[in-house]
Amino acid sequence: MAKKNIFVVSGSDNVATILQKGLEKGATVEVNVGDNSKFIELKDNILYGHKVAIKPILKGEKILKYGLAIGIAITDISVGEHVHIHNVESTRGRGDLTKRR
Amino acid sequence: MDKFWGYVNPDGTVGTRNHLLILSSTIYSNGLAERVANSVYGAIPIIHPLGRAQTKSDIRFTFKTLVGTAKNPNIGGVVVLDHFQEEGNTAEEIAEEIAKTGKPVEIVNIRNSGGTLESTTKAIRLAMDIARKITLRRRDEVPISKLLFGLNCGTSDTTSGLSSNPALGHCSDIIIKQGGRSILAELTELMGAEEWLASRAVNQDVSDKIWKVIADFENRILDTGEDIRGANPTADNITGGLTTIEEKSLGAAKKSGSAPIQDVVDWAETPPNKPGVYIMATPGHGAESITGIGAGGSQLLVFSTGGGHTISHPIMPTIKVTGNPYSADYMKDTVDLDVSDVLEGDLTIEEAGEIILKEVIEVASGKITKSEFLLEHNTGFAIHRIGMST
Repeated sequence: MAKKNIFVVSGSDNVATILQKGLEKGATVEVNVGDNSKFIELKDNILYGHKVAIKPILKGEKILKYGLAIGIAITDISVGEHVHIHNVESTRGRGDLTKRR
Repeated sequence: MDKFWGYVNPDGTVGTRNHLLILSSTIYSNGLAERVANSVYGAIPIIHPLGRAQTKSDIRFTFKTLVGTAKNPNIGGVVVLDHFQEEGNTAEEIAEEIAKTGKPVEIVNIRNSGGTLESTTKAIRLAMDIARKITLRRRDEVPISKLLFGLNCGTSDTTSGLSSNPALGHCSDIIIKQGGRSILAELTELMGAEEWLASRAVNQDVSDKIWKVIADFENRILDTGEDIRGANPTADNITGGLTTIEEKSLGAAKKSGSAPIQDVVDWAETPPNKPGVYIMATPGHGAESITGIGAGGSQLLVFSTGGGHTISHPIMPTIKVTGNPYSADYMKDTVDLDVSDVLEGDLTIEEAGEIILKEVIEVASGKITKSEFLLEHNTGFAIHRIGMST
């Protein structure tokens, strides 16, 4: 396998991990999910190791990686957008949302 | 059958090292411990900020950690230091537990020895006698089933869960298939991975324990009233692309491979002899987590680090492995293994796991890690607290 510049863990994931330095807004990357492949245009500059949306995600929907939920979208996220702490919230360890005993 | 060359102890355990330990029982003997260890050949100091004026359950926790560290199979002999007296954690009480393993142990009390300089002389002389005894020991070839293998990760990034952690998991699976045991810890970083872990439990009871131990830890976090993000995932995890604790956990849990999970054990508790993975109740804090694992008797640890790390346990060789090509370069002086070809080239997860296993066998047999060479004794020992200072 040659160097991958984007990595999708599971077929049901709606995000993928960028594995190339210096990918900027407007760049096109090829995403392979199983036997299917599609091209995505990046809507943000995305750093090495950061995630990009590969499917449209609505506010309140689960972010899926490893085929499992890693958080909830707090805005609508379109394909090609950077997915990170500015548009995703965690549902675990949220003492700030828990009533103090 | 894989084998390594280790020091067979009187109690049947096998060390990957034969260290002379200078163990400070309290913060107030840290100075003595450093002075003694820095003055003599091959000694390792254990220093820490505790051992005094703690609530009783907390000081028992400290005591258990110090005793467990000294009883670790990698220790050949021990000099325990004390400055005066602390109920529940005296040098005498610590030494009494260590002596049960049959290894040589001596005590020096600063006040009872007539002060700092006299206690230094006394401790060095006792250390010399122990060193001349334990350096007669030789390594024997033993099966890898004798290994209690520590798994940890830190300064993780998104490469951790995609490459170095699954590779480490494969290495753990190979060791367990041959009769060995692994310890998976860091409860914070299992939050979100419960279902996957519980599905590997050997029975319903263990499955229930996995859910409970993680929930109990999460409840302690919720009691702070704060959002854990920023504290875990940490700022460097977030810089590395990890967005939530769930994402970090799903990647972190991969380092335990696919072997059955035999049981859940307490901090510093030695797992039973049955092969498999054991989950130890520790926080995600790297130094605290590996301190718990070392005090539980693990003789070697592999630390997976996407972002690169300096951490090294003082007496448990700590092999650091990264799947991030940039970290392999930036942190080349403390990262031992580079498996970045999993994402950059043609290396499979299984092949990367074999590379880790080869390093594990070599380091277990005496090859030193980069951090051991650099005498990084103080980057990997921190005692977790369950109580408060009084």
